[in-house]
Amino acid sequence: MTPALQLTDIRKSFDGALALDGASFESRFGEVHALLGENGAGKSSLMNVAAGLYAPDSGVITIQGDAIALKGPSDARARGIGMVHQHFKLVKPFTIAENVLLANRRPHFSSGIQAIRAAIVKQAGELGFDIDPDRRVDTLTVAEQQQVEIVKVLVGGVGILILDEPTAVLTDTESEGLLEIIHRLARSGTAVVLVTHKLNEVKRYADVVTIMRGGRTVAKLDPKQASAAEITRLTVGETVPLPARATTDTGPTRLNVGALSYTRGDGRVMLDGANFHVRAGEIYGLAGVSGNGQAELAQALIGAVKPQSGEIWLDSIGDISRASAAKRRQAAIAAIPADRYAYALAGSLSIADNFAVAHIRSGRYGGVGFLRRRAMRREAVAAMKDYDVQGARSVSEKASLLSGGNAQKLVIAREFSCAPNVVVAHSPSRGLDVRACAAVHQRLIAARDGGAAIVLISEDLDEILSLSDRIGVMSKGRVVAEFDRPADRQDIGRAMVGHG
Amino acid sequence: MTNAPSLTPDARRRFGRLTLDVRQSISPWKQAVFVGGSLVVGLALSVAILAVAGIAPGALATELAGVATAESLRGVLIQAAPLVLAGLGASLAFRIGFWNLGLEGQMIFGGIFAAGVSIYDIGPASTRLVLMGCAAALGGALWVLLVAFLKIRFRVNEIIATLLLNYVATYFLFHLLYGAWQDSKTAFPQSSPFRPFERLTEGVYGINSGLFIAIGCVLVAGWLIHLSRLGYYMRFLSANPTMAGIVGVPVKMLTVWIIAASGACAGLAGFVNVASQEGRLTQSYASGYVFSGVLIAFLSRNDPIVVAVVGFLIAVLFITGQTLQVFYQTPFAMVQMIQAIIVMAVASSEFFIRHRVRWIR
Repeated sequence: MTPALQLTDIRKSFDGALALDGASFESRFGEVHALLGENGAGKSSLMNVAAGLYAPDSGVITIQGDAIALKGPSDARARGIGMVHQHFKLVKPFTIAENVLLANRRPHFSSGIQAIRAAIVKQAGELGFDIDPDRRVDTLTVAEQQQVEIVKVLVGGVGILILDEPTAVLTDTESEGLLEIIHRLARSGTAVVLVTHKLNEVKRYADVVTIMRGGRTVAKLDPKQASAAEITRLTVGETVPLPARATTDTGPTRLNVGALSYTRGDGRVMLDGANFHVRAGEIYGLAGVSGNGQAELAQALIGAVKPQSGEIWLDSIGDISRASAAKRRQAAIAAIPADRYAYALAGSLSIADNFAVAHIRSGRYGGVGFLRRRAMRREAVAAMKDYDVQGARSVSEKASLLSGGNAQKLVIAREFSCAPNVVVAHSPSRGLDVRACAAVHQRLIAARDGGAAIVLISEDLDEILSLSDRIGVMSKGRVVAEFDRPADRQDIGRAMVGHG
Repeated sequence: MTNAPSLTPDARRRFGRLTLDVRQSISPWKQAVFVGGSLVVGLALSVAILAVAGIAPGALATELAGVATAESLRGVLIQAAPLVLAGLGASLAFRIGFWNLGLEGQMIFGGIFAAGVSIYDIGPASTRLVLMGCAAALGGALWVLLVAFLKIRFRVNEIIATLLLNYVATYFLFHLLYGAWQDSKTAFPQSSPFRPFERLTEGVYGINSGLFIAIGCVLVAGWLIHLSRLGYYMRFLSANPTMAGIVGVPVKMLTVWIIAASGACAGLAGFVNVASQEGRLTQSYASGYVFSGVLIAFLSRNDPIVVAVVGFLIAVLFITGQTLQVFYQTPFAMVQMIQAIIVMAVASSEFFIRHRVRWIR
């Protein structure tokens, strides 16, 4: 059987930096083909070449046996290759039908939108998605937006479907549902490429796995046959030890959140009298289904939103619920927000600047009048080495250059560079590969052992269970249950959904 | 399937093709070469257009060289002071993403406040000029802070607000000049002349002291932006204000102060114009400065030190333009067109600074 899509010896460099170094890939109709690799291994770049977004510097693209040169994404689409990107390409104020029409043009709008509407209903029905073509995209959840993306591609009659990290934005249950659907889709004859860094997805749902490392494809194997250890070794190059857990004595209460309430601008109550406390030397995990006030709680703790009532009490200075972010910094509250590019980094500024900015006020780099640039640079260089931040040639390069995992390491390097009293970490390992994830966890544990009080907010239950000393469950803006370590997974799961 | 003729992969390999990469970083030298190169292209185009209009490049060179005479140079320097101050006002605001297009309104209020000090005879004669300068800075700052308040409190778009307030300021000025502050001796719509000790006169080496105000402001702004903590914070404020707030940058305070400083610079520009060139409050001492100020800020990439250089060059252009007007009957529109050509040339260099063009096979 001729392969559906074949990429041979693809090379691509960006401004001199080699992203793909002779990568080869081959997928067949009827198969789920996983493309596995760490952050920055070149998975997305390779698939962007296949989808016509990047023109390769060299190499051959073959579709069903014909060597072709793709002129762009619409050319790729016309040849039956469709890609669902990690960051959705949807026009938010448009309806679902309008978005799908935009990607699958029809000669006339009025008749076209009718045809598209029918096609969406049909396609969604086949996949088991429940989507109403007339809803506006900005009213949809992330999972629903992703369904729209998939339908958008399939309505165009695509035979080769590329999904770039589709489960990164989904909860556990949503991910499973999606992967089941993808599996069925492949069985009905579509060639599916699943870009991922999650080993368990590969083991459970992929028919073939191609492993990438450093811009090259290093292995192609059957995930049902190969052992998890072997796949991991091929992915990371070496085995990563899991952080050892040492129990520590917990100290006095460091942070107390009392009856904290916050109503969003649109009138939705996001925090409804949340209560919990965290002791020094303790990791307090906050679990919950996404959208139950975790994001707002994290923002209220770091000073990005001001709660209407309630208190955030810190043992050193008292109530800080209305204090400025600067004052919270002085009290050594470290912030690791979920959306690091929006809340933690200025992408257009240098890595050194992004590292140093949090300590300017303390006078660490000179007074108000003169900043000691050289000291900033020197400390940034040392920290980058210390925290293993890779992907930039020097600290004067822009922070936006760093891949997700390395950007997160930069944030952590900055936030931990002066011993924090309290750490607020929201989904700190989202989008990170195994090794980066382990590094982040190790840093959190080290901070806890150093006596910090750590609030760990995560939708990843495994992360919560493996790190937390105590676990709170959030539902509808409150902490509805608390568990001591060792906590039972089933109990937590019940608390998460039980308070509907 | 598309029917458009396309190269086969084989043909592509033979001829190669042009690709564009987004640059990750660029050295300051290379950047300067690109900007300088496009500036040369812009100037060459301007010379060509002037040649078509009947001014031979040789004659043009003579006129430009004429600027170097002491008399012309003095004119250039007098002209440079308000231009540099206006450019500085624009660049400070632009640095934090506040599009202050109300430089003229702020200049007008700077002039009005300074004239007010003179008209109401406030303070002793020895400190009168200093007082007028301070009043001018305050006037410009207050006028722009009105918009800053609207923006921060009600999210009013500052581009429209500052621009339209120029008209309000202009008509308020007319209201004064046709009314309470009209010169009773001549009955022209202008104020009575300032007293000699209220004029900015020629100081050291015959250079108008307005220029020293401009240079002083440039040095202070240069220090603030390049060396101080404030300038560092400003970079974060424009790059990502949300993030800046979270890492402890005093966002609101900084925004308000920078906007006020921007208005104060424009106010000083107004003061320099009324107290040196005009010697009284006139109707038109601020007209045209929005465009020139924005132009200078843009060409200097909001760097205060470069603002001084560019401001001087624009002043040379103005003075040369005046000469051409007198001796060759070139319309003043020609000078404005040359300005526009240079802006476009420099704007296009941005493309090469951001992208790398490669020919690959």
